[in-house]
Amino acid sequence: MTVEAARRGGEALGDSALRPDGVLKVTGEFAYSSDLWADDMVWGVTLRSPHPRARITGIDVSEALAVPGVHAVLTHEDVPGEKFYGLEHHDQPVLAIDQVRYQGEPVALVAADHPETARRARDRIRVGYEVLEPLTDARRAALDPSYPKVHGDRSNVVRHQPIRVGDMAHARRVAEVVVRGEYEVGMQDQAFLGPESGLAVPAEDGGVDLFVATQWLHVDQEQIAPCLGLPTGRVRLTLAGVGGAFGAREDLSMQIHACLLALRTGRPVKIVYGREESFFGHVHRHPARLRYEHGATRDGRLVYVDAEIVLDGGAYASSTSAVVGNAASLGVGPYEVPNVRLDAYGVYTNNPPCGAMRGFGAVQACFAYESQMDKVAEACGLDPVEVRIRNAVAEGSRLATGQVIDMPAPLAAMLEDARAFPAPPPTGTADVRDLPGGVSNTTHGEGVRRGVGYAVGIKNICYSEGFDDHSTARVRLETVGGEPAALVHTAAAEVGQGLVTLQAQIARTELGVRQVTVAPADTGVGSAGSSSASRQSYMTGGAVRAACEAVRERVIELAEERLGRSLPGASLHDGRVVAADGLAVASLAEVLAGRAVEETREFRHRRTTALDPLTGQGDSHVQFAFCVHRAVVDVDVELGLVKVVELAAVQDVGRILNPLALEGQIHGGSAQGLGLALMEEIQVRDGVVRNPSFTDYLIPTILDMPPMRTRILENADPHAPYGLRGAGEPPTLSSTPAIVAAVRDATGRPLTRIPVRPEHISCG
Amino acid sequence: MRPLEYRRAEDPRRAVTAVAGRPGAMFLGAGTNLVDHLKLGVARPDLLVDVSHLPYDKIEPRPGGGLRIGAAVRNSDLAAHPLVRQHYPVLAQALLSGASPQLRNLATTAGNLLQRTRCPYFQDVTTPCNKREPGTGCSALEGYNREHAVLGASEHCVAVHPSDMAVALTVLDAEVRVLGSGGERTIPITELYRLPGDRPDRDTVLKHGDLITAVDLPGLPMAAHSAYRKVRERASYAFALVSVAAAVQVRDGAITDARVAFGGLAHKPWRAYRAEEALRGVRVSAAPGDTLAEATTAAPIAAGGAASTGENAGGTSTVEDLRAAADAELADARPLAHNAFKIPMARNTFVAVLRGLLREEGATR
Amino acid sequence: MDASIRLRVDGQWRTLDVDTRTTLLDALRERLGVTSPKKGCDHGQCGSCTVLLDGRRAVTCLALAVAHDGAEIVTAEGLADGEDLHPVQRAFLEQDGLQCGYCTPGQVCSAVGMLEEVKAGWPSQVTEDLAGPPELDDEEIRERMSGNLCRCGAYPNIVAAIRQGAR
Repeated sequence: MTVEAARRGGEALGDSALRPDGVLKVTGEFAYSSDLWADDMVWGVTLRSPHPRARITGIDVSEALAVPGVHAVLTHEDVPGEKFYGLEHHDQPVLAIDQVRYQGEPVALVAADHPETARRARDRIRVGYEVLEPLTDARRAALDPSYPKVHGDRSNVVRHQPIRVGDMAHARRVAEVVVRGEYEVGMQDQAFLGPESGLAVPAEDGGVDLFVATQWLHVDQEQIAPCLGLPTGRVRLTLAGVGGAFGAREDLSMQIHACLLALRTGRPVKIVYGREESFFGHVHRHPARLRYEHGATRDGRLVYVDAEIVLDGGAYASSTSAVVGNAASLGVGPYEVPNVRLDAYGVYTNNPPCGAMRGFGAVQACFAYESQMDKVAEACGLDPVEVRIRNAVAEGSRLATGQVIDMPAPLAAMLEDARAFPAPPPTGTADVRDLPGGVSNTTHGEGVRRGVGYAVGIKNICYSEGFDDHSTARVRLETVGGEPAALVHTAAAEVGQGLVTLQAQIARTELGVRQVTVAPADTGVGSAGSSSASRQSYMTGGAVRAACEAVRERVIELAEERLGRSLPGASLHDGRVVAADGLAVASLAEVLAGRAVEETREFRHRRTTALDPLTGQGDSHVQFAFCVHRAVVDVDVELGLVKVVELAAVQDVGRILNPLALEGQIHGGSAQGLGLALMEEIQVRDGVVRNPSFTDYLIPTILDMPPMRTRILENADPHAPYGLRGAGEPPTLSSTPAIVAAVRDATGRPLTRIPVRPEHISCG
Repeated sequence: MRPLEYRRAEDPRRAVTAVAGRPGAMFLGAGTNLVDHLKLGVARPDLLVDVSHLPYDKIEPRPGGGLRIGAAVRNSDLAAHPLVRQHYPVLAQALLSGASPQLRNLATTAGNLLQRTRCPYFQDVTTPCNKREPGTGCSALEGYNREHAVLGASEHCVAVHPSDMAVALTVLDAEVRVLGSGGERTIPITELYRLPGDRPDRDTVLKHGDLITAVDLPGLPMAAHSAYRKVRERASYAFALVSVAAAVQVRDGAITDARVAFGGLAHKPWRAYRAEEALRGVRVSAAPGDTLAEATTAAPIAAGGAASTGENAGGTSTVEDLRAAADAELADARPLAHNAFKIPMARNTFVAVLRGLLREEGATR
Repeated sequence: MDASIRLRVDGQWRTLDVDTRTTLLDALRERLGVTSPKKGCDHGQCGSCTVLLDGRRAVTCLALAVAHDGAEIVTAEGLADGEDLHPVQRAFLEQDGLQCGYCTPGQVCSAVGMLEEVKAGWPSQVTEDLAGPPELDDEEIRERMSGNLCRCGAYPNIVAAIRQGAR
């Protein structure tokens, strides 16, 4: 089904329903967290450490407090409750205590009646630092026990996850072809356009109401309340408009700070980060060093993989443990490999903290294993697609963790599909605008080489390794103005992925009503879990469906009472109760008779298990998703410029719920992968970030993004609601290695580090 | 930001007097660079004299050929002007490759000329920088210097000038009209900008209070045959790693005149006189292309490579001659730790631009 | 130092006192409560704050409010007539040329301004024949919209939206 055909087909499940928040978004009236305003509000700012590692010898706030217009200046001593927080480990201080561990670590807070006043006061806080040599060598942090510790006596290794399968000694003897590679992935930033921001309003009950852009309201709440010394119920969160997330809003940024200032001043407090501060205000994608050795038979069948992955987690753990779990469990890719020795490490250093970003640990590994697959292909004299097909997992395959894929995994067919895409027309000399660099009139194709590359990725959907994940939905059906109307209430964060659209589509479909309202997300309803791990269609979609089903059952019961007969197999359609024979027996308005039917349901996915700490064995993942990319590039080998001519993607999504929004997710994931392949890297020198701006940290423009072809498959996952498969992340994995493979194809260069720079291509 | 007085200038001379007489005063054009610097704390004026409303918003043909471009003409208007597009394509292309459309709609001619370096240390007031605070040292010298200068730098500063337009104006031998306390004067653009030496805080030879009122372009027939190419890490909306502006004149199968300037390599737009000298007399073979690519893939460009086609009468290929001309200019280039790639990149961009112009020349003859 | 200025914002004259250091963007957002232009970078590097300033698209984060006394400003909010969207806005909605929507008001203003520039015959960096009038194909749309970053990567749909909006 094409997007064009589906458009305007309606607004039920499977249609290209338009965004209910779209009108407000195209006019700019949609209220993002940075647009919030309250009477009497004051502005909060954060004093951050200029040093990546230092002992704090003293903090003097007296001058700052004396600035007219200043309402409060806070340090760690003013944190009334727990002093530390964190997603997985409570290792991060709300405000630095006695030492700082990364450049940009929050040290003190100021609230003042004007942001400029607050900044001026911040500049008058005197902090004494005894500067120490930063610990920035992630590999030594992982492997050298003598390397100094970032956190006192705690090991620098946040997590080490081995995978051990088969008999490596035997495998090495059997392998006829061995290829080795060392790869490096630079630190990528999520770079959402709407910086961290929120408004904290002190409440009469001594608690606080926080309006904030986040990915998971309840996990914020659980971390904020203890630090404020408040019971959870007195910290209420409402989702404000989210200007992009991509993982960067999983961790707290200004949440506790704004609440502290609000409680201290008794005034609403707004904090909005600037772009530079945003680079310091959230975690980034882990930079990685990856060493891989693949052994294969001469006909290209993998015999073993021996790998070491070191992920630099920076100063605080954030979600490093889970990122390591993904890198390890998905570290050989979607291939059947009988013998595996793999060690994934996530470590502390004094570099910027790293955590979640779209693709989450699977991205780094994918670049390495896909680069290796091309090497295997070359060594065996095989086509890169063919070597992948020969090793591709399928339903029933056993992964390196021992987990059996018990859902469709038509990877070989997807690869064939990718190969079968028509080739984009060769760049002639006729239209010089299509050449790399894009500048008119000076290049006529001399030195421009076409290259084609393929890559596949495997991504887990939902939270893994035994995490008891769930989502909650409350659905209410009533009559409004004589028409049946549904209200859907969850705490799930719409971050741009189109979740509010989908929730409404589900309710329309399940309840047979046209009018559906999705209530603002807040903590007034149970947790929906995070808008992460491509999980919300599955989890909150599943919860909304479950709540709708419960409402439907009750409505049918009411209809049965009203009609005095049972209605086995009845359903709701077009505002009516419809009997099993397809005849409408009553209108919803009649059945409801002014009453409201409301049901709340929690949805849980099937249980997973932890990975064995020594062997990495376990059924750790809920669901697997796959995407295949073909990239076609033109490389100006004289100037080192790459133009991605076309990206084509094949993805299996189980079931298409909204074609238009789905295509958007594939475009977006591919674009972020393109950025990592060709331009995006936070430059860190001795723990100091050198490019915290959009002039120096480049993300792709619309001119960098090529046209895309997509082929979307629907092989239902029998375990998932509607058979769907999470879709947001997989394209981010495979886009990067496909582009790099295409550049290699064009240039013959090894290109083992991303982002690829012009000097790696021709000007080195 | 410190408190700031704002005055809208109604009269050029009084504007000059106002700024010249107050050390903390600055002229304000559109502000696309200056307002950024106010926010960053890089610029700390106490008075802004807004000269964007002065009657310098016209582009007029000059008697005897050439154009006068008012200092307040917006970059987008200049790029779109029919006479510029027709007679000075290098200028239109340079402008169109700079910033973004919504910045070009604001930015003025004079402001573009006077924009300051994008060196991250210059823009970060917490780090030493001789350009921002003389005597504090140069952080880029031993720091992250991938985008920095390879020509004409000093131990005090390795920053590069960010303007695209200025590179084009440099090959066009533009002249900058300046109104100062002592009256009007004209400065060739090739003399407007300084190398850093031991005074990197001074980008230009202008004195405090000097107001640029216009840029004069000479009538230059060969400029109709000119081009600008900008090499950067994304396709648009980024500063140059390297750029080349060039114009050539070919008569009877040989280059009789050439003008070339580099951007992204130095503290100022770098007029490549030595390369120009080397280009004069180069014979243009039938196919001045198709050879560099082979030279580059087999061995990196630095090796020179063998040219296989398009040999001219002298037995060497045009591309080889072009490359030799670039090398003549780049012989003195001194890379820093992270920017050695700029030298081959500059050479190859030079060759690509010249090759393109020669091909066009061949096509139009 | 304060100065009194007048701005015509989305059709309404507004008078306000601003500190001379206030940008047009902050004057709109913080002083006049017009939050349709977004602050994505505050340094002219993202395009989220684009409005039509005296009829042309312009970023507002690098313009001082005091220097634009008397200016006419149209934001994305002002492009719509209440519920009645501008054709370009309708196209963004129908083609799903947005995800999180943060860059969208700037994209919309930029697209409207861009279409006027094409009508006026302005060339772009990818216009091969500088002498002739440009033709608005996809490559031209993309180059001309490259001053508006979209991190969600809704770019293919933005191109489609502008194609539709240009009709």
